[in-house]
Amino acid sequence: MNGAAVNLMEKTFSDLKAKGETALIPFISVGDPDPETTVDIIVELERAGADVLELGVPYSDPLADGPVIQRASERALVRQITIESCIDTARKARERGVNMPFVLFTYYNPVLQTGLDRFFGLLQEAGISGLIIPDLPFEESEEVLRLADQANILLVPLVAPTSSSRISMILSRARGFVYCVSSLGVTGERSAFHQNVDEFIQSVRAQTELPVAVGFGISNREQAERFAKICDGVVVGSAIVRKIEESLPLLENEATKEQGLLQIRDFVAQLKIKN
Amino acid sequence: MGKPSVKICGLQSVEVLKSMINLPIDYIGFVFARSKRQVSGNQAAELAAVLGTWQSGKIPESVGVFVNPSMEELEAILSLTPLDIVQLHGTESPEFCREVREQLGVKAFKVLSVKPDGTLHGGQPVEDYEGVIDGLLLDTYDPHYGGGSGVAFAWEQAEPYRLWAKERGIPFLAAGGLHPGNVGELLDVMSPDGVDVSSGVETDGIKDLTKITAFVERVKGNMTLNKQVPDEHGRFGPFGGRYVPETLMNALIELEESYRKFQDDPEFQAEIDYLLKQYSGRETPLYYAERLTEHLGGAKIYLKREDLNHTGAHKINNAIGQGILAKRMGKRKVIAETGAGQHGVATATVAALLGLECKVFMGEEDTKRQQLNVFRMKLLGAEVVPVLSGTRTLKDACNEALRYWVSNVHDTFYILGSATGPHPYPMMVRNFQRIIGDETRRQILEAEGRLPDMLIAAVGGGSNAIGMFYPFVEDTDVRLVGVEAAGRGVETEYHAATMTKGTKGVFQGSMSYLLQDAHGQVQPAHSISAGLDYPGIGPEHSYLKDIERARYYPITDREALDALQLLSRQEGIIPALESAHAVAQAVKLAPEMGRDELIVICLSGRGDKDVESIMAYTEGGAEL
Repeated sequence: MNGAAVNLMEKTFSDLKAKGETALIPFISVGDPDPETTVDIIVELERAGADVLELGVPYSDPLADGPVIQRASERALVRQITIESCIDTARKARERGVNMPFVLFTYYNPVLQTGLDRFFGLLQEAGISGLIIPDLPFEESEEVLRLADQANILLVPLVAPTSSSRISMILSRARGFVYCVSSLGVTGERSAFHQNVDEFIQSVRAQTELPVAVGFGISNREQAERFAKICDGVVVGSAIVRKIEESLPLLENEATKEQGLLQIRDFVAQLKIKN
Repeated sequence: MGKPSVKICGLQSVEVLKSMINLPIDYIGFVFARSKRQVSGNQAAELAAVLGTWQSGKIPESVGVFVNPSMEELEAILSLTPLDIVQLHGTESPEFCREVREQLGVKAFKVLSVKPDGTLHGGQPVEDYEGVIDGLLLDTYDPHYGGGSGVAFAWEQAEPYRLWAKERGIPFLAAGGLHPGNVGELLDVMSPDGVDVSSGVETDGIKDLTKITAFVERVKGNMTLNKQVPDEHGRFGPFGGRYVPETLMNALIELEESYRKFQDDPEFQAEIDYLLKQYSGRETPLYYAERLTEHLGGAKIYLKREDLNHTGAHKINNAIGQGILAKRMGKRKVIAETGAGQHGVATATVAALLGLECKVFMGEEDTKRQQLNVFRMKLLGAEVVPVLSGTRTLKDACNEALRYWVSNVHDTFYILGSATGPHPYPMMVRNFQRIIGDETRRQILEAEGRLPDMLIAAVGGGSNAIGMFYPFVEDTDVRLVGVEAAGRGVETEYHAATMTKGTKGVFQGSMSYLLQDAHGQVQPAHSISAGLDYPGIGPEHSYLKDIERARYYPITDREALDALQLLSRQEGIIPALESAHAVAQAVKLAPEMGRDELIVICLSGRGDKDVESIMAYTEGGAEL
């Protein structure tokens, strides 16, 4: 492990804290509609004020995802997007000058089939800072945690309002930030959050020094503002993926591509809360 | 004579070694010779420290494996790690062996390499080693790699060496090309004092606990099977576990705790027994299919008539169990996934019986194939939710049920229909279905005075098969045969042959075999039978396959249809398309067996639900 190197994501969160800002953490499905456009979108997201980016690996059976991200996955899979091409897309975005830290969001099976050693090697090469595996709960994560620590990749855990007594156990090995699930259910925009979401987030905050981000269901500025008051980061996924879906006709035509990208950028820019 | 000793060679990982401490292993070998399994003296010392923590029987002896070492080399290694035995794999002379014993105070094992023609490769005749070695190991000779290359030598060539060692009172070990699948045969033909294995218990070059366990069990007899699985983490060897979003973890833990609590509650069991008997009509008959037996002209065939259950299939056994559990846990709403519709109908039935609200998720494709069952569920008061995601079949129905459960976990119980999914489902479903095997065992003993030679059951997720197999797992003379759907053929893209064509992976909450591409994307399955049209399989089946306790064979759509017609005409029983796969395998195997041998087929369901789609193929000319 390269103990001297500070992970880019840790640095980003501490810089934001110094400035008193809440991290805007968009999620996109890589390869939707195609890998080249994904790189263009990433560039726009950074311009729009994104601080950390979750790169979703499309998967055939996305258990934790709602219909919007399911559809995006299906579109990407038609183009034969693999976990490796996702990692490669991150590398290409870096080459285009994108500076924000990347978190790879992937189900466990593609990781397993890549081979754990090889997978972490690829993440390191591509300059990816963090990792979220939604179907790898703490009890099954021993080996991944060990290799992630070795590679200085931060394995970001999810905690849910139902986690209760499990929270302290999960936090004991958490790195990067803690991802609080705002409501029970799959990803997707919603108008209501779990009834005890504020107490839940407070209780997580009280148990960790790490930045706390909230996600699942946050889809507009008003909701982002609501959570910015009580946490360090806001994840917006399905709402952005839906915006990309709506922009597909523009994105798929060279003449209107710029317009489509701008549309996405404008939508994301208004989600950034600067306190 | 006691059981042969076991030597596992080429250990490199402390963690793997730690996972083995409950197994009765006699020798652990560390390779110091140049090899992909080579360890340094320091690594070996770390590994050897684990031996002191051994939990099973006596502590294994540590063995260092060398090829033509110098005395200095041996001294250097021994100063770092204490070894009980030095195993000499090269062309070491008898004088050298004597020096090793006398100067280093360790035992010396000499390895002789046999060529395929039975002569020794290099070295000196075995007689020259009289009085200077403490053990003799016979290994394969391979011209490229010397010994230890993992190729079985001609076992019958070993006899003179075994006798030589026996007369001198030193142990004789056989090595080279052994694995869990052939060690039994080796022990049958040559009765060595021990066996040595390395690559035969590895997967992709890494020691594999499942294979090690299987190997040890083959040599020492079954000591753990059945009792241990799953362990407290829901693991069947490396399979099973609990790979679900954090949001579901507490629900699964709560489910497991409740199940374990009620499992031992006599009232809970009595309630289930009562409904199984008075409501579902158990016990189901074990019927001697005389005309089918005569027709096939081989083994005597019995049918376990699960098709005679209420709702027409074995699925009700599990639905009753989980339904009562749901009620005890205070959940008023149940959900289920269904493929052919049998589990959906069983769940809707039990929900009606127990006054629970019921929602059944069913792939849109399957709702078309099984319209009758869709209507049945509605008639029973259930809501059928057509699933439009993915391939719109059983796997997507499971995904959707899990997604719904995540959102409604506070008041909803998920009645999972197969021996799949996250722990505790595979264990719980097996236990609710084991009544099939328990009854069969009792009935066949009554009818024939002995256990059957073979059990055959169809496998989609595998609940009827595991229910049938489980009570017989320790009876190793009973062959367990699982039958999976080969669709249009395992050589095409259109099949559901998870065991024949799948690889290990994580799918819908557990580690098991799985149809997937090289990048870990799950591949669509295909079968004429909606109930077998599933790219995964229950983790306990994967375990039984890997330890070679059960075998799994593919049957095509065509073979299943032919078997369905055969059984209908020979016995007047129209089986479900799923069960017809099991019948088709019996059609293949029975004629090869003797007339004094016994086969039991699990006839998991009746064919009424399938007649429409069968008609499309047999009369309508629909293409398979």
